[in-house]
Amino acid sequence: MQLNKRQLLIGSAALAMAGHVGGARAASAISYWHHFTSQSEMAGLLKIIGLFQAANADVAVTQENIPNSEYMAKVSSAVLAGGRPDTAMVIAERFADLTAMEGLIDLTDRVNGWAGKANFPDNRWTGLSSDGAIYAVPAFAFVDWMYYRTDYFEEAGLAGPPKTFDEFLEACRKLTDPSKGRYAFGMRAGAGGFKYVIDVMEAFGSPIVKDDQPAIDRAAAIEAVTFYSDLFLREKVVPPSAPNDSYRQIMEAFRTGQTAMLWHHTGSLNEISGAMKQGEQFSTAPMPAGPKAHIARVAYAGNGIMKEDNIEAAWQWVSFWGQTDAAIALLEGTGYFPASAAALQDQRITGNPIYGAAVETLEFGRLPNNFIGAAGWSENVVNPAFQSVLTGQSTPEQAVDRMTQGLDAALR
Amino acid sequence: MTSSASRYLPFRALGELSETRYWMYLLLLPSLVLILLVIAYPTLYGMAISFREMRLTRPGLDGWVGFKHYAAMWSDPVFWIALKNTVVWVTAAVVLELALGLLTATALNRDLPGTKIFAVLILLPYFLPNVVAGHMWALLLDPRLGVINDILVRVGILQTYKAWFADPNAALAATILVEAWHGFPFFALLLLAGLKSIPEDLYKAAAVDGAGVAAQLRLITLPMLKTVIAAAVILRVISLVNSPDLLLILTGGGPGDATQVLSLYAFQTAYKEFNFGYAAALSVVMFVILMVFAVAYIRISRITKE
Amino acid sequence: MATLSIKDVRKSYGSVQVLHGVDIELEDGGFLVLLGPSGCGKSTLLNMIAGLDDTSGGDILIGGRSVVDLAPKDRNIAMVFQSYALYPTMSVARNIGFGLEMRGVDADKRKGAVEDAARLLQISHLLDRRPANLSGGQRQRVAMGRAIVRDPELFLFDEPLSNLDAKLRVEMRTEIKRLHERLGTSIVYVTHDQIEAMTLGTKVAVMKGGYIQQLADPRTVYERPANMFVASFIGSPAMNFLPGQLVREAGGVRFEASGVSIAMPARKPAEISERPVILGMRPEELKVAARDQASVTGVIDVVEPTGPETMVTVQVGDRSVIARVPPRFAGQRNETIFFTVDPASINLFDPDTEQRIDI
Repeated sequence: MQLNKRQLLIGSAALAMAGHVGGARAASAISYWHHFTSQSEMAGLLKIIGLFQAANADVAVTQENIPNSEYMAKVSSAVLAGGRPDTAMVIAERFADLTAMEGLIDLTDRVNGWAGKANFPDNRWTGLSSDGAIYAVPAFAFVDWMYYRTDYFEEAGLAGPPKTFDEFLEACRKLTDPSKGRYAFGMRAGAGGFKYVIDVMEAFGSPIVKDDQPAIDRAAAIEAVTFYSDLFLREKVVPPSAPNDSYRQIMEAFRTGQTAMLWHHTGSLNEISGAMKQGEQFSTAPMPAGPKAHIARVAYAGNGIMKEDNIEAAWQWVSFWGQTDAAIALLEGTGYFPASAAALQDQRITGNPIYGAAVETLEFGRLPNNFIGAAGWSENVVNPAFQSVLTGQSTPEQAVDRMTQGLDAALR
Repeated sequence: MTSSASRYLPFRALGELSETRYWMYLLLLPSLVLILLVIAYPTLYGMAISFREMRLTRPGLDGWVGFKHYAAMWSDPVFWIALKNTVVWVTAAVVLELALGLLTATALNRDLPGTKIFAVLILLPYFLPNVVAGHMWALLLDPRLGVINDILVRVGILQTYKAWFADPNAALAATILVEAWHGFPFFALLLLAGLKSIPEDLYKAAAVDGAGVAAQLRLITLPMLKTVIAAAVILRVISLVNSPDLLLILTGGGPGDATQVLSLYAFQTAYKEFNFGYAAALSVVMFVILMVFAVAYIRISRITKE
Repeated sequence: MATLSIKDVRKSYGSVQVLHGVDIELEDGGFLVLLGPSGCGKSTLLNMIAGLDDTSGGDILIGGRSVVDLAPKDRNIAMVFQSYALYPTMSVARNIGFGLEMRGVDADKRKGAVEDAARLLQISHLLDRRPANLSGGQRQRVAMGRAIVRDPELFLFDEPLSNLDAKLRVEMRTEIKRLHERLGTSIVYVTHDQIEAMTLGTKVAVMKGGYIQQLADPRTVYERPANMFVASFIGSPAMNFLPGQLVREAGGVRFEASGVSIAMPARKPAEISERPVILGMRPEELKVAARDQASVTGVIDVVEPTGPETMVTVQVGDRSVIARVPPRFAGQRNETIFFTVDPASINLFDPDTEQRIDI
């Protein structure tokens, strides 16, 4: 008991005080919570703030960085106990939870009266809407794709990146050479690994949720988990550290040449480009297609408003992110894909072949699963269930059953 | 005259009150209110939540549910794994920390040249916040870049780099060792203070009486440190049972549920699933377990008797 | 055969030498008191005998056997500490029997020995208690019980009475003396209290600065101190010192100073040179006398009756002298007073070396 309760209360008290102080500020000062942490992300953010400040001298933005892993804890404490920021970053995976806890303010009317809306096709809004109401303005997108080592592929006599799971498995076998300490695929099964487990399940034809009801197809899901875990267990084309490998570890593995293929999204392009040469050493490709579906996520992230106090200034800020200038500033700083269709026409994207795979993915990519409780279920159930298959503590059948039960509980 | 007297009446009443025995209750009142506010209220509130449905993402479900969460816990396999892991993790870590702490304290108590500097150095791990220690060890034990792996391979203990946190048993053992490293200065510090209070003459007398090092440790040092050890163990157990941070950073409870402990489970339930009702129930169970442990431990070690 | 022989024992910590070649022999059943102010090296010497401190040189023999390379437990000694050093977590009985327990003596035999020791020290009724529940005197008895139960060849006492109040100290002093006479075991006893040294010792080693100043029986140490340090350290009030001149005369020598003129017999007066000396006389040797018999003349300064006797501070020349006189002394301040002194009780010291001069 002690810990959570105490943390919650102390945190809430601190936040309540912070909120109070915030209230005393000028009406044109707004706060902004986000989870940009890397140097390039912060540089991009500061550039946007600079542009915004130049255009809106009367509104001062105070940004506050919260580590991604603690973001929801802090936001939910603020919702529960007071001390909300004016505005906050919202990524697609968290949208459902944030709206369910009534953390965001309905922006439908403002968006409909906003000139910039035309730049965003309907699918940009889907992930940031609930029951027809819009709660956030899209800002940028993470487009899933695959990085691969062109030099390793050549060495292994592979013509090009795999287009299907069968080709992927074939390539994995050819690219793995434990004697060189080289593994084909940097599987992420530590924190955040659930994403790819769910992707593979859908690629094998199992939906997750339909009409707010659990919809896992047991047979297909088992097949998917078996296929995916076998990469580690039977094929051994994955580094032995996979069960605890998270973002940092899979990046490190790819950058140091331990792995030949990596599933991630456009957001890591800058980091990888910094470690090796585009085209010569690595390239990008769309995610391979599964037997039943071709899954890759296009996750739009936006900014929402969390309280009414300074809503005019807050709206100016969140809608500013939807402008092409801001999108391009972020793209330059971080490589994050613009959500705005207008910005996508920018020469920096169309003229760079490395983005070809992302542009292609935009055609078929899906939005992430977006149901209330998705984040908790993914992290607290899917992740350990899949890990326990990798460590031999349970079978794919048991893991799928645990996921199904967990999903039932989450949706009930 | 009368008017000026009545003006001071409140002060006089206060003065008279200060002569009565109710005065002390009045003086205790502020502290009592403070304690009620910061200890009793949150504790009872937390317990109350455990009998309610409180999921931030389902505001409509709010309401009393009685023992529902406790019943759910009974049939929740993760709870039982977490309970078992908590016992193993805390016991092993505390035993290791106690042993290391005693060893360190004994060494530091010898007043050899340089022990002062060494005493400060040895406290450093404890100065590190859990989060910092966790990230540091995550790097040290990294399967690709870790210095520990490099050393072990160089001296020939390992053939290749080991992914410490990818194997359930190794993960639990590794996190225990990291915790032991982090927590032993706590014991060293308290035990050193305890050792300093043992008169040197006792060891001289024991030496004359024919007690060797082992007998001195068993018959003098340990019995005389009993109170300190008991207090340190209780404090450490409480803090370990309640702090998920190190495991959160090193393994997140994985792989599978190999390093899942109650505090981490409660934390994840509250802040990933936003299910505060169930998290509160988990926390109440931890609270009860700690109470039972503390009472039983004090009984067994009989520290209240002397 | 001597129980204890200390031969040229030295001790230094780094470049600091705290004991300079100490030699002591203690006869069987003897009671050696190491006496001196703090820092004189007496406790160090005791610890070295016990084996709790290493020797830097020389040899220590107990019962004819060199023990410098033996651990404390193998020296066949028992020690009583100033702090008593009772094991707080053990009962009195276990405390007393601890040495036997560590030597593997079986429980029945141990119990008998503990009970015997307890009876001897009259603490049988305390055997089940913890040290924390005992008074100071009782703890002292337990500490002694722990020593005697082992029946060692040598007892070592490290200022055992200094933590007791005055009354208990006297009681326990008697107790120790009785115990020594009864058991007959040799004892080395460290103290800074000259009364304990005088009452208990068969041999007293007065120490200062890491040297033994005098090693003799208590009587000799008191009456014939080897130097001015010993003379002043022992006796209360301290010995009176008067600088003066030694002159030869018929049949002997005479000490002359302002207000003092004492004739002394000398074995060989012809060999004595006339020279400045310091005269030492104990306060009780000054006897009030008539003017015509006087060898010391002075003016009363302070009169302090203590009950059994009276201390009189007298101005003699430019020096203060204390006389211990009978209780009903009637003299008043500023009166002139006359004393005789037994020449045999007088000590003479060299003003430069402060060593005793024999005449």
